[in-house]
Amino acid sequence: MTPVAGPDPLSMISRLSGAGMEAQTHRLKIVAQNIANARSTGGTPGADPYQRKTVVFSAELDREIGALSVEVKKTAVDDAPFTVEYDPAHPAANAQGEVKLPNVNLLVEMSDMREANLSYEANLQMMKRARSMITATIDLLRSGS
Amino acid sequence: MTVGNVTAVGNAPLYVTELAARRAEWAGIRQAAIAGNIANANTPQYKTRDIAAFEADYARTRLNLERHDPRHMQLGAVEMHAEKVREGNAWDVTHSANTVSLDEELMKADETGRHHTLATSVMGAFHRMLLSSVSSQ
Repeated sequence: MTPVAGPDPLSMISRLSGAGMEAQTHRLKIVAQNIANARSTGGTPGADPYQRKTVVFSAELDREIGALSVEVKKTAVDDAPFTVEYDPAHPAANAQGEVKLPNVNLLVEMSDMREANLSYEANLQMMKRARSMITATIDLLRSGS
Repeated sequence: MTVGNVTAVGNAPLYVTELAARRAEWAGIRQAAIAGNIANANTPQYKTRDIAAFEADYARTRLNLERHDPRHMQLGAVEMHAEKVREGNAWDVTHSANTVSLDEELMKADETGRHHTLATSVMGAFHRMLLSSVSSQ
């Protein structure tokens, strides 16, 4: 393997893991938004309620370190149909007394949250490991004394 | 003196340090590739990448991109050495065509970390030997 000029791979790791953690944090934020708005209906009769949001990640070349990093490409909305409940007294109820509720499924959001958490922790582990590798390298200076 | 499949030239004792340094560098690059995989663990279409196994001999050379203008794109060590893992070798392929398995990556990270510890320990040990031979009364 020929040595390559450029950024130090060990410091690259914390940057990559940091980007991963940032992306997962964004995902968790969207999950929190979805859960918070799980029952947010429209304000006028027949109005559309809150629409579930989703996150799309993409692998992008980080030019500063010259390695494939991750970033949030876009926040899209879920086009799944809304659930409908019969509640004529509700301000958002239409002429038939039906209220449109958000297409948020709490179970799906919870599993999404768990997955984001897991990926976040994996990134954190990598960061810790990189740190111990850097410490081991610096400790070489101490080994003689 | 023979280290692995490498025969040292003459009796140069510092060759071990050179070998250990290369090994540590390889471990660093591989760890960065693994960090990239983990960061992209939920990216659709992302294919797991890995670094070729450590080779102590100089026989295998790679073509490196030449930069003769600062505006040229600079590729880091990871991009230089990264290889896609063939789909059949990946542990897990999700519906979004992502082939990163967090378990596998963390296992590889642990293995690479061990290689790095070994390399730095060897370097430290030889450094201490060198120092003790120089400083003994």
